[in-house]
Amino acid sequence: MNFMYLYLPVALTSINLLIPVGLGLAVGLLSGLFGVGGGFLMTPLLIMFGIPSSVAAATDSNQIVAASTSGTYAHWKVGNVDFKMGLYLLIGGFIGGLAGVQVIKILKATGNVDFVIKMTYVIMLGIIGTYMFVESLQSMKKAKNQSQESGVKSQESGLTRFLKALPFQTRFEKSGVTHSLLVPLVFGVFVGVLAALMGVGGGFIMVPVMVYILRMPMHVVVGTSLFQILFNCIEVTFLQAYTNHNVDFILAILLLFGSTIGAQVGTKFGRKLKADQLKIILAGIVLVVTVKIIFELTLTPSLLLAQGGGH
Amino acid sequence: MNFKFQIFKFSITLPSILTALMLFSGNTFAGLTIKANHDNIKIDFFYHGSTVSVKGASDPGVDLIIKITSPDGHEVLKQKGKAAGFLWMNTGTLNFEHTPNLYSLHSTKKLEDILSREEAEKYIIGYSALNRHIEIKPVNNESEKATWFKEFIRFKESSKLYAASAGKIAVTLKDGRQEYYILTDWPYQAPPGDYFVTVHAVKDKKVIETAEANVHVEQVGSVKLLAQMAENSAATYGIISILIAVAAGFGVGLIFKKGGAH
Repeated sequence: MNFMYLYLPVALTSINLLIPVGLGLAVGLLSGLFGVGGGFLMTPLLIMFGIPSSVAAATDSNQIVAASTSGTYAHWKVGNVDFKMGLYLLIGGFIGGLAGVQVIKILKATGNVDFVIKMTYVIMLGIIGTYMFVESLQSMKKAKNQSQESGVKSQESGLTRFLKALPFQTRFEKSGVTHSLLVPLVFGVFVGVLAALMGVGGGFIMVPVMVYILRMPMHVVVGTSLFQILFNCIEVTFLQAYTNHNVDFILAILLLFGSTIGAQVGTKFGRKLKADQLKIILAGIVLVVTVKIIFELTLTPSLLLAQGGGH
Repeated sequence: MNFKFQIFKFSITLPSILTALMLFSGNTFAGLTIKANHDNIKIDFFYHGSTVSVKGASDPGVDLIIKITSPDGHEVLKQKGKAAGFLWMNTGTLNFEHTPNLYSLHSTKKLEDILSREEAEKYIIGYSALNRHIEIKPVNNESEKATWFKEFIRFKESSKLYAASAGKIAVTLKDGRQEYYILTDWPYQAPPGDYFVTVHAVKDKKVIETAEANVHVEQVGSVKLLAQMAENSAATYGIISILIAVAAGFGVGLIFKKGGAH
């Protein structure tokens, strides 16, 4: 008997307590800082530590419920959650998720599912990471030279003009922006499709959409993203537990023990950072993950067989 | 009538006794014995694998092979290959039929030195015999099958479910008998179920005696309760998992709020 290890009744494996608690802490920190669920980091790490892939993905969504509750609560307390915007994104995301599942079915039938998923991952992460990185670098430089260029007015892009011309314009008080109701709905659908395709919560796509397209302030983006992720993951956890029986409750508790604390620390720490600093760190993480996936795709894997499950 | 009944009873019981004796003699005649010290492994929250010692006695001068297996089953595994010529990803699934989930083999000497190929195949002893026993679908030819079988063994060995060793069984002579002993690691990756521990006595490249013991692995207490709940009351299990996660999130939020007020 070794008290450092705990047996997981659904994953049917034993794990050192420090691994899930440490992973939870690290991913919770990212969650509180940037408003991402961290599934794109956590699931591969759990698989690396011997958790079957289907259990890793399902249990991670259970854990994200706790981390995003903790994070949403912390952000709501300081007034950083735009519930109205979150709700529209959520509705869009829900519809997109359903559509994404259908797309996966079609791809599975053609036998190209894995190729499309991996390519979507690399391309989306690569574009988002590079764009955020370059943009936040430029805006940091701009902030330095602001005294000289204070009179320069930023030009409206074609996309912004198009969004303003759409019907059903409404004011989102918390974010301080005015958009057509269709905008968060349509982008919600878009992110939902991608999230279903990539098998992740979609926080790291949703955050840039809110920052660059919806033009919401970074701190409200983080809180609103967490709110949206919370409901997505509640739905996913239930479906996984009900249809696939692969949520490991004990593993989830170990993970959430770390992640709920991490999310609180992340939120506090995030308030001390400037929006551009937050953006550039997130961009860096997204780019590192992209590089990691490219390595995985091009280097010969150590084992050529893997457990089934997932998609 | 009573006499007839006696004859009837005798005619039924005699062949049964003879059959039982024959079966019994097939397994342990001449006294090949086996005992696994740990025949009921209980999985609780602090379970991190176990050890099983296998010991017994045989006639002197024979070699011994100890095999620990689970019943045959089937496994579906993802197959990694190159897509577009240079990108490694899942390219399909392979079905492995008649595969034991656990296969641990120990012998006093190298298998090929003590056992003929025919005998190895008959008793499914060794990876080569297992290769011929297992069916892999879909594969185009024997060499493709051999490649994926090798990968299958690497996959199983990496999760400690397959193992093979030669020369690790300790053998001593005592009172004209050969006593053997081996201590094996029981991997925590082996799921609950029934496992067979078989010892074969080998002479002139042939199996001359066989004896068998069992190891039963089961979940107990809360581990069993949770595993059963996840399977049989999935909706309740899902809802409880969500509620606890939400409560934990709020709980930690409240603690931090209090902590932050100082």
